[in-house]
Amino acid sequence: MITVALLILLLPLLSFAIQIFFRKFIESKNGEWISIGIQLTTLGLAFYLFAVMIGHYDPHFRIEENVTWFNLGNFSLEMGILIDNISVIMLLVVALISSLVHIYSTEYMKGDIRFSRYYGFLGIFTFSMNGIVLANNFFMIYVFWELVGLSSYLLIGHWWEKNSAADASKKAFITNRVGDIGMFMGLMIIMTVLGTLNYQGVYTGIASGEWEGGIGTLFGGANPHTLLTWAGILLFMGAVGKSAQFPLHIWLPDAMEGPTPVSALIHAATMVAAGVYLTVRIFPILTPDAMATVAFIGGVTAFYAATIAITQNDIKKVLAYSTVSQLGYMIMALGTGAYVAGFFHLITHAMFKAGLFLASGSVIHAMHHALHDIKDHDTDAQDMRNMGGLKSKMPYTYLIFIVASLSISGIPFFSGFLSKDAILAGSWAYASTAHEGWLASMHMAWILPFFGFGAAVITAFYMFRLIFMTFFGESKRPDIFEKMHESPKAMTVPLMILAALSLFFFYTIPSINPFSTHGWFSHVIENPGTVVNFGSTFNLEHFEHANHEAHMPAMILSLIVATLGIGFATLVYLLKKVSAESLASKLGVLYKGSFNKWYMDEFYINGIIRPFLKGCDAVALFDMEYYDHYLINGAGRNTKKVSSGVGVADDLIVDGAVNFSGYIFQWLGWSLKFIQTGRIQNYLIFALIGVVAVFLLNAF
Amino acid sequence: MNLSQIVQDLGFLTPEILLTGLILLAIIYDLFLTKETSIRTGYLAIAGMAIVLFSLFAQNVEASQGLFNQMVAYDGYARYFKIIITLATILVMWMSFQNDELKNRTIGEYYQLMLVLVFGMFFLVSATNMLSIYLSLEIVSIMSYLLAGYLKENLRSNESAIKYVVFGGVSSGIMLYGISLIYGLTGSLNIYEIQASLAANAAISPALLMLAFVLVFVGFGYKIAAVPFHFWTPDVYEGAPATITAFLSVAPKAAGFAVLLRFLNTTLTLSGDPNNIALESLSNLDWPTLLAGVSAITMTVGNVVALQQTNIKRMLAYSSIAHAGYMLMGVVVMHHNGVSAILYYAGIYTLMNLGAFFVAIYIKNAFNTETISDYTGLGYKAPMIGIAMAVFMFSLTGLPPTGGFVAKFYLFRGLVGVGDTFIWLAIVGLINGVVSLYYYLRVLYFMYFKEMNFPDVYHRAPLQFNILIVIIIIPLLFGWMIGDPLSTWTASATSFFVP
Repeated sequence: MITVALLILLLPLLSFAIQIFFRKFIESKNGEWISIGIQLTTLGLAFYLFAVMIGHYDPHFRIEENVTWFNLGNFSLEMGILIDNISVIMLLVVALISSLVHIYSTEYMKGDIRFSRYYGFLGIFTFSMNGIVLANNFFMIYVFWELVGLSSYLLIGHWWEKNSAADASKKAFITNRVGDIGMFMGLMIIMTVLGTLNYQGVYTGIASGEWEGGIGTLFGGANPHTLLTWAGILLFMGAVGKSAQFPLHIWLPDAMEGPTPVSALIHAATMVAAGVYLTVRIFPILTPDAMATVAFIGGVTAFYAATIAITQNDIKKVLAYSTVSQLGYMIMALGTGAYVAGFFHLITHAMFKAGLFLASGSVIHAMHHALHDIKDHDTDAQDMRNMGGLKSKMPYTYLIFIVASLSISGIPFFSGFLSKDAILAGSWAYASTAHEGWLASMHMAWILPFFGFGAAVITAFYMFRLIFMTFFGESKRPDIFEKMHESPKAMTVPLMILAALSLFFFYTIPSINPFSTHGWFSHVIENPGTVVNFGSTFNLEHFEHANHEAHMPAMILSLIVATLGIGFATLVYLLKKVSAESLASKLGVLYKGSFNKWYMDEFYINGIIRPFLKGCDAVALFDMEYYDHYLINGAGRNTKKVSSGVGVADDLIVDGAVNFSGYIFQWLGWSLKFIQTGRIQNYLIFALIGVVAVFLLNAF
Repeated sequence: MNLSQIVQDLGFLTPEILLTGLILLAIIYDLFLTKETSIRTGYLAIAGMAIVLFSLFAQNVEASQGLFNQMVAYDGYARYFKIIITLATILVMWMSFQNDELKNRTIGEYYQLMLVLVFGMFFLVSATNMLSIYLSLEIVSIMSYLLAGYLKENLRSNESAIKYVVFGGVSSGIMLYGISLIYGLTGSLNIYEIQASLAANAAISPALLMLAFVLVFVGFGYKIAAVPFHFWTPDVYEGAPATITAFLSVAPKAAGFAVLLRFLNTTLTLSGDPNNIALESLSNLDWPTLLAGVSAITMTVGNVVALQQTNIKRMLAYSSIAHAGYMLMGVVVMHHNGVSAILYYAGIYTLMNLGAFFVAIYIKNAFNTETISDYTGLGYKAPMIGIAMAVFMFSLTGLPPTGGFVAKFYLFRGLVGVGDTFIWLAIVGLINGVVSLYYYLRVLYFMYFKEMNFPDVYHRAPLQFNILIVIIIIPLLFGWMIGDPLSTWTASATSFFVP
């Protein structure tokens, strides 16, 4: 098993090496199929692991293998592989979507100037992502965390000749760094208090009370909660960066500058889900305060990003904000204690969102070719205002869009319904069980279900807005429309697979009840509860009970809001009973705010970066005008006078000594060189003198 | 000693027997080859050495043995050095295919002689009797003379061989005299019996004992090129075929250290058991201090004279003298850590020194120069060559993150770990490190900083050469990182045969 896992981990790295080092060969001989072959092998192995896992059908199935990486005194770092239900499911998802994207890209990226490099980077990304999934400790996950960051940076900037792409890749990298610093601080706290970073070691360490003695109580008036809360929140900061949570979400929409298959693989399905995965792994050590923080960040993100998605016109931007919003859902679920729902949504979302992105790629691809045919290089191929009526031209793409959109909007019989409903029920249960502290006062906790259901309405609305603008109505640009045609098989077949996986029964077998999550998934994934057993803690039983009660009303309500959203989109964009323009002007400030992403980028530039630079300038000015001029230079002028006297002595004595020692060595080498006369007779004499000298020196 | 005992002992000599078979096969095969096809002997030799390497790995050395009345030992220590020697031989043979000096000539003998040299070294590293030590030392020496003079029409090559023969002959004669003194003192040639006799008889005059030891040490000192027995090195290294120079600078040197260390730690210690963690020298013979002095002088002379060299081969020759000085630091500590540090250093040194020589040979072939100042701009013209040279120079200097740093670190750790006695030697070693920085980095200065311009057309080295260099670089850069496998291996290779 461990060998299989290691193969899954390392094969993509091999693909990377081949693509990077044999570029010429690859590009001349269809070498992308080497990578695809490797990726499909990985997929096969992942299926094997999955089969083994299902064969056990045990929520506590786990295999772990640990080796010591290095020891420094009594500090040691370990590396290891952890195979449990979560990692096996994640591996399968990563391998599957990566394989589909590999195949899809053969057409989408055809003729690209850096074709083999693109495949190489896909390989190193898959390697790093598998590393995150297979890691058994927080340090190793951090290492691979940075590696996915790197591969994301490389792929966003794939077309770096475009300034916007280069900027976006830098923005992604730097924004992630902010989160990662927090994550690293969290790691250091854990390491200092518990002396281990192994997941299981950390859980048992906290459960057995190690946190309550010693360093764990140094802060917060001997209350061990304080430091543990901080550790949890700091670790979670890594997830905030990687999973594009408010307020570090700003990089993800810009990351759409990368090739669309990359957006599907990295910025929708897998890498951004790594943050959720990390939260899953730290879930047991979160204190109630930390959980509340997680939940509120997730809730705010879900709602906030959804409001932006309504007004965007770029097809990929809509999907990007939708991704941010859905990631917010997952995070909120984990924060509210709905562990299974959060992880479930990660999986279902990966499928339908990858489907949506690849389908949008199919549209963009067709647009590109059409624009190319009519020699139009100014029109934006991603702008939905240039589309319309594509239903007849691209029937498969259209169908897939419909299926995936129904899934994300939470319509029964699709996977999204099950997971989203579970999340909403979880937030409801959380709010109804909040009886103490600030969450209970003024019913603060009820904000979360409000955000959840609100975002659900908006999601249904903007997804169908996208579909109606793109596929229905009259074409806005008949000249382009004429040249449009369906994408080739290599692109549509992966799409169909992903669309099929948006159906509910894949996740509920052996049950086929479309309204219940019961099935293999909810059997093998089990809410681990919390290991924090001191102070106030998350009560799993209590929560599950409330969750059960909230299930029915939440489902009914979520169905209503989904229908509302779709219905309203139909009114505005399909039947045109309500004019979108007049709505926009009526809403005024709200519309402008949403369209401009609530001015978040501007806030960062004007509120943080500019003032910071101004501050730097001011300090620099002070430094030069006052500090340098009076203090340094003044002192300097005076010192100079003194030192010119000293200098004379210095030249002679100190420099003399330094140069002299240099000279000594040079001279020594120069003079010893002459011993090497080239005459063997001399050599022998010298050697014999040496023997005698050694003997005499040592014997007496 | 009866026949059945001999037959039984032969069972422990699989690699040596395979090697003997290989030598005979190479000689016979060569008879059927013409001048043009004689290179095939080389291919045969490489393939054969690979089999020998495999048989070495297959040896189980957990139970060490003394073979043929304790003429040679079968133990983990000897096997480690045999593996290093075999690897170095394979690498050098590989490089020999690309050495222009050896092109267009009948080349079969070259590989045959190298194989015999390896045969000698195999016995040298496992010899446990003054007689077998001397005999195998002679095999190694004579083969080295022949190889140094292999370029028959080249005067420099002839000259170097003659100098080598004369110097080697005198050293070996002196050593023989030392051995006879030891025999006179103890009545035995077996190193274990010598030890027992010396340890039991504390009344032997220290001066006489010192004389015998110093004379024997001449033979070892000449093999490892320790000052003042190093005079042959620069001349021989410069004249010999470059690949042979590379080979002589690593393999016989490693073998010399192997036999020296075994001899010292067995024969000249109180306990006579080199497997002990800490050892004590014989009460009436303070050889660690003597060797500490030799070590300090060797590294200083090597480094200081290397400063003045303009020819890359001569520079590397002197630098290899300096490295012998560093390795002697591990001998004087008389501690388990010192022994494993030497083993480690021998492994890393083999790689980095071969690498540096190979790059120099390649530059000689491609750009026809051995003068360091002619390397100007090479780092840009031939990026692969430049990077490789940079790695080797950093490693030879002992800068992180290369294996050279780790190897040096272990040596110094061993030296400082045993107390204050040899702190002065560590300081001398550190100062020498600084001195060596100057001439190693001077090569890179010329390659990268003298002139900075990117040419339109890059020079590309042939694939075969690039692969060879990468094979050498990878363990140097990454070998020590994950778990440091070499150090675990060397720690386990410090098991000596003791009767």
